[in-house]
Amino acid sequence: MVRFENVGMRYGLGPEILRDISFSLEKGSFHLLSGPSGAGKTSLLKLIYLAERPSRGAISMFGRDIATTPRDELPALRRRIGVVFQDFRLLEHLTVFENVSLPRRVMGEFEGHYRAEVEELLQWVGLGNRLNAKPATLSGGEKQRVAIARAVVAKPELLLADEPTGNVDPEIGARIIRLFIELNRLGTCVLIATHDQRIMERLPATRLYKLTEGRLTSGQVSDHLITEAKRA
Amino acid sequence: MNPKAQTGLMPADSASGATLHTIVAVMSFLACLALGGVLTLGRLASQWTDGLSSSVTVQLMPSAQISPEDQVKESLRLVNQWPGVFSAKALSRSEANALLEPWLGKGNVLDDLPAPQLIEVTLKPGEPAELEGLAKALADSVPGAQLDDHKRWNAELAGFATSSTAIGWSVLLLIALATLAIIIFATQAGLRTHREIVEVVHMIGARDVFIANEIQSHFLWLGLRGGFIGLFIAIVTLLGSSMFMDSRETPVAAQYLPQLVSSPLHYVWLVLVPGVMGVIAMLTARFTVLRVLGRMQ
Repeated sequence: MVRFENVGMRYGLGPEILRDISFSLEKGSFHLLSGPSGAGKTSLLKLIYLAERPSRGAISMFGRDIATTPRDELPALRRRIGVVFQDFRLLEHLTVFENVSLPRRVMGEFEGHYRAEVEELLQWVGLGNRLNAKPATLSGGEKQRVAIARAVVAKPELLLADEPTGNVDPEIGARIIRLFIELNRLGTCVLIATHDQRIMERLPATRLYKLTEGRLTSGQVSDHLITEAKRA
Repeated sequence: MNPKAQTGLMPADSASGATLHTIVAVMSFLACLALGGVLTLGRLASQWTDGLSSSVTVQLMPSAQISPEDQVKESLRLVNQWPGVFSAKALSRSEANALLEPWLGKGNVLDDLPAPQLIEVTLKPGEPAELEGLAKALADSVPGAQLDDHKRWNAELAGFATSSTAIGWSVLLLIALATLAIIIFATQAGLRTHREIVEVVHMIGARDVFIANEIQSHFLWLGLRGGFIGLFIAIVTLLGSSMFMDSRETPVAAQYLPQLVSSPLHYVWLVLVPGVMGVIAMLTARFTVLRVLGRMQ
């Protein structure tokens, strides 16, 4: 589904912030991405959700080589990806309902088609009574749940989440993880960039990618937890 | 709880929106005045040239070889039987005085001046008369007779009307270009201000055309609203000036100055101005958005 081969990335003429990244994400798999701040997690996610192009190396998404894919075919690939941005990136002038339904609207669907689904999803993330609220009136946790609902509303084949439980209480955090696991069971490939130990503890058998100074290593979450416990 | 009707992708930016409405309204107002002027000039030019080309004048200079009475009689006989002539009429002394009055003032000035006797000849519409032959026949048969076919006046008036109309169209073109430049600037500024929105929508899979459609409809309504405000002000101005021209206090203006909009049909043309403004705003915004988005990944 996603394949990176010796990918490097730099912004402009700056230093290379991702080096020789090679990995692949298979359909229906579940992954965590960890690493210290500034290690390049967000940049790696940007490459995956096609917001940036690599400086070198090859990226293949859904069987398409990104370097040779025409620009006007990229939106179709992006629609297969759901993204939870770390800073939420909600549209401030739209209501909660409109923000969440945006991916369906962009696909050209009529509101009557998706209204019930969007309402049900918002009920599920605990925002059923905030449909007409504007983001400015929401708490950080509520904004995060809106961002997550927007990322999953079109049932993406690949879900990318940048610190999705950073601003929510443990109960909502657990719900969100359950939602991700449920989506994964239905076939969605999930990659979560996180520092949250609670997520790791809930998913000990998951593959963990660690980014350190722009380089990627991989292992099991359980091994990471043991190492961290010894260090403590 | 049911969600409200969906709002546009781009927020209605009240501050810049009001400024843009004002600018488009002013452009529309100026375009209406310029278009009114162009239409009126076209109408006047055709009236003038039609009037001149449908008649010719025979001038009878005093001659020692023939009496003035015979000169008139012989000329009328020749002209009346010429093909393409509808009627011919010798101007009386008082009619000749009336023609010269604007230049020479009132009084029996013709008594003291060697002014020619004039015969006004009306031509049949749609049946061109052979005027060169008539001029030659008059010169040969009637001493002192000359035919003035108004060609020089006609050419001068046609030239004046053409150049004035061209100036009018140039003004309209400049207004359209200025509107275009303003909309390009406003669209680019809007995209810069709302870059975050465009990026998010882009990242969740919106095609450039979807984003362009959302933004162009915003500018279409802006162009139409501004255009109709300008049209309304223009119509009020034109009706006001028309009433002023017709008032008794300004008889000179009423007599000699053409009104900017001189036919009810012209108002129908003016109604097209807001539509054109809307279309200009919409298409300009669309192409600007597509150009800017084309530079994104």
